[in-house]
Amino acid sequence: MMRKTLILIALALTASNAQAQLFPFLGQRPGQRGAPVVQGIDALRAEFAAQSGGTTIYYPANGVTIGAPAKAVLAAQAAWLRRHPEIVVRIEGYGDGGDTRDHALAVGARRAAEVRDYLVLLGVPAAQVSMTSWGKEKPGLGRAVTVLVR
Amino acid sequence: MIRYFLPLALLATASAVSAQQQPGTPAATVIAIPPLTSPDSGTRGNQMLQIGWQATQQIEADLRQTAELMPLKPNRDDYYSYPEVTAPTFSKWRSAGAKALVTGFVQSRSDGRLTVGCYVYDVDKGRELARKGFVIAPSEWRRAAHKCSGLAYTALTGAPGIFDTKIAYVAETGAPGNRSKRIAVMDSDGNDARFVTGGEMNVLSPRFAPNTTTLAYVSFVGDKPNVRVLDLASGKERPLIPADAITFSPRFSPDGSKIVFSMMVGPNCDIYIVNAAGGLPQRLTTSPAIDTSPSFSPDGTKIVFESDRSGSQQLYVMNADGSNERRLSFGNGWYAAPAWSPDGEWIAFTRRGADGRRIGLIKADGTGERVLTTGPADDGPSWAPSSREILFQRTDTAGRSGLFRIALAGSDPRQVALPQDASDPDWSGVVE
Repeated sequence: MMRKTLILIALALTASNAQAQLFPFLGQRPGQRGAPVVQGIDALRAEFAAQSGGTTIYYPANGVTIGAPAKAVLAAQAAWLRRHPEIVVRIEGYGDGGDTRDHALAVGARRAAEVRDYLVLLGVPAAQVSMTSWGKEKPGLGRAVTVLVR
Repeated sequence: MIRYFLPLALLATASAVSAQQQPGTPAATVIAIPPLTSPDSGTRGNQMLQIGWQATQQIEADLRQTAELMPLKPNRDDYYSYPEVTAPTFSKWRSAGAKALVTGFVQSRSDGRLTVGCYVYDVDKGRELARKGFVIAPSEWRRAAHKCSGLAYTALTGAPGIFDTKIAYVAETGAPGNRSKRIAVMDSDGNDARFVTGGEMNVLSPRFAPNTTTLAYVSFVGDKPNVRVLDLASGKERPLIPADAITFSPRFSPDGSKIVFSMMVGPNCDIYIVNAAGGLPQRLTTSPAIDTSPSFSPDGTKIVFESDRSGSQQLYVMNADGSNERRLSFGNGWYAAPAWSPDGEWIAFTRRGADGRRIGLIKADGTGERVLTTGPADDGPSWAPSSREILFQRTDTAGRSGLFRIALAGSDPRQVALPQDASDPDWSGVVE
C-alpha cells in the first residue's frame, strides 16, 4: 500500500514561468540583489513559490513516499532555502479526507517528516525546517506544503 | 453532593422481566412510573409534590432513551399515596400492562435539604428489586432523578445506568473546510451543555478521565497537534508532555493514573504512556508503521490499538507494558479507532472500505465480528457505560457532522439533538 507507485503533481504557480523569463536575475543572482531583509514575507513567499516550481507536493491516498517529480520541486526549494538561511519554514502535512481521525494526523505528519528529512538531506539546516500535521482538518487532496514562517 | 442514607445493596441484578428478552430482539420492558409522592402535608407537601413531579418526568425521559425499557406516560393527576411507595398494588400495574414499577417519595428535612427515596419492583412477581435513597439540596433534584433511573435500569437489565454520566464532544460551527471547533461537555441527557475551550484554536479528541473532572484533548496551539490536560473545575490546563512534539489520540487508563497517546518522532508514529500527573513518557510500540488510537481494557491490563504494519490498518492487542503484541482483526478494509467496552467483552472500531466508513464490533478474543452502521462516513465510536450502546459521529455528503447513538441489540441510529454540528464524542463512565 505504502510502496505503491506515486503520482505526484507539482503545483505550478501560473505566473512562475513568465516571471522567470521576465526577471531572470531572480533565479540566477540570488543574494546579490541587496537589502533582502526589507522584503516582506508575502514577496518572499511569491519568490520562493516561483523559483521552486511550487510550494506543494501531492500524494496518492495513503501514500507517504516522495516521487521523482516532487524531488525536483524539493531540490529547488532546498536551493532557495540555502540561499536564505534567515528564512524559517514549516512543512505542513495533510491527511486524506476519507481517513479516520488519528490515522489522518499520523499520515499528515509522516508526509511532512519525509519532506523535511529530504530538505535536510539536500543541505538545508534542520533548525530552518519545522513540521506539523493538519490531519484531515482542512479538505483537499493529501499533500505537504512548505510554508515560509519568517 | 449526594449522600446515601440507606446503605442497602441492590437486591437483584437481573429479574424475570429482563430474562424474557431474547438476545438480539429489542423487545422493551414496559415500566410504570407513578408520580413521586411525599409524606409531607400542607404547603410543604405541595412543594415536595412539585419537585417529585419534575423528578418523575426526568426519570421517564431517562428511561425512554434506553432500548431496553419503555416507560408508561406518567399522569400528574394520578395521585400516589405514601404507603403505596413500599406496598404497591401490583394487580393495578399488571392490568396496566407494566412489567416493572418505579415508585418514590420526596421528603423535606429540618436542615432545608430533601430526602429522595426510590424503589424498583418486578410487577409480575410482586417483588422488590432494589431501593436507594439520597439526601440532596432542592436544586439537585435532577441528579437524584438520574440516580433513580440508574437504579431501575441496573435492577432490570444488570448493566450500569447511563443517566448520571457526561458526554464530551467537539462542537463545530462555520462552513465545512473552515470550521471553528470548541470542546463542549454536557450531561448525557443533553442538559447543562457548556464550552470548555475557546473557539480561537482548533481542537480534537476530548477524552474524560474516569473522575470526569479532568479532560485530555488535542489542541493545535502553536500550529501543531499536541495533547493537553484540562481541569474542568478550575479551567487550568497544561501540555501532557513538555517536549515540542506532535502528540495526539490520548486516552486515560481505567484508574485514571496514566494516559496513553501517540507521538511522532521523525516520520515514526508510536504509542507512548505517561503518568497523568506528568513525567517521562515510556514507549510501548516500536514498529516503523503508524501505531495509534490506543484504548485500555477495563481491567487496565491490555491496550487495543491500530497499526498499518501489515500494509493496511488492523487492530492489535498488547499488554499494558507493551509486551505480547498480537493481531486481532483479519478482515478486508482498514480497521481503526478501536474502543474497548466497559464490560470488557467487545471492541468497537471504524472500518474503512470501498463502501465508506462504518462502525463495527469484534469480541476481545477476535471472534464475532459484525458491522453495526451503514455509513457512509462514520467514525469515533465511544461506549455507553452500560456497554449496550455506542455513540459515534456521522458526516454527511455536505461535510456536516453530528453525533448518533446505536444500540447493540439492533435498531436504527438516533441522532443526538445538539445546537451545533458535532464530532469526536466521548461518553464518560458512571461516577458514584
